[in-house]
Amino acid sequence: MGAKTILLVEDEFIIRFTLADFLRDIGYHVLEAGDGREGLDILNSGQSIDLMVTDVHMPGGVDGIELAEHSKMLVPGRPVVVCSAHMSISECYPADEFHSKPYILPALAALIESLIGDPWQKSSQTHLA
Amino acid sequence: MAEELANPPCLIVADPDVLIRNGLAEYLRHCGYKVFEAATSDEVIIALEEGATSFRAMLVDAELSGELNAFELRIWVRGHYPGVDVILAGNVDRAAKAAGHLCDDGPHLQRPYDPESVVAHIKRLLAATRR
Repeated sequence: MGAKTILLVEDEFIIRFTLADFLRDIGYHVLEAGDGREGLDILNSGQSIDLMVTDVHMPGGVDGIELAEHSKMLVPGRPVVVCSAHMSISECYPADEFHSKPYILPALAALIESLIGDPWQKSSQTHLA
Repeated sequence: MAEELANPPCLIVADPDVLIRNGLAEYLRHCGYKVFEAATSDEVIIALEEGATSFRAMLVDAELSGELNAFELRIWVRGHYPGVDVILAGNVDRAAKAAGHLCDDGPHLQRPYDPESVVAHIKRLLAATRR
């Protein structure tokens, strides 16, 4: 069984790389998207994704909330974590959790693990083929 | 080799299509590289200037956009980072072939899988998004 897969959507290039590198180092498989449109492309490609972490405000016409809605439409049980410096969880429906920016890597990792378990734990999530 | 595995060499994969970029980067990670994924030439330049790391090579789509096009980027990299190889590829088949050659020179001793299967995987994903 492979590691669990996280879709990470963040438009700040170096921040995205740093986050993705950290999540890979602790064992997750990470798919990176640089804006909401790229996130939609990955969601629509049918790849197996256990959880999505997304920034809210991004260029390109699709924000993190719209991306969360699309993810929930495709796979209702797949957890979504939204990250913002200017919002709270009450403004982030249908996201499951909220992480306040700036990113705190251990806190984000703990939040992810609380939602999907450790990187190698067997998942009960149903994926698209 | 042990040093390379502990501190893997870095590459940049620059392609405007996220599914192609992801697929090539994933393959090269399986070969033992650390890979930065860039969507534009601007992101490539940020990676080089702020990445706090040294890069061995970059695989660049010939239609890359940004302040510099792919060819201008190659000239810029040669001028500023002469130790970094810039490999231009015009389509996903050629990019995967180039990735296979990078893999042969990579930290791991063997290819994790054939570059042709990378192309097939990417084409399946692209077809799924365009249904």
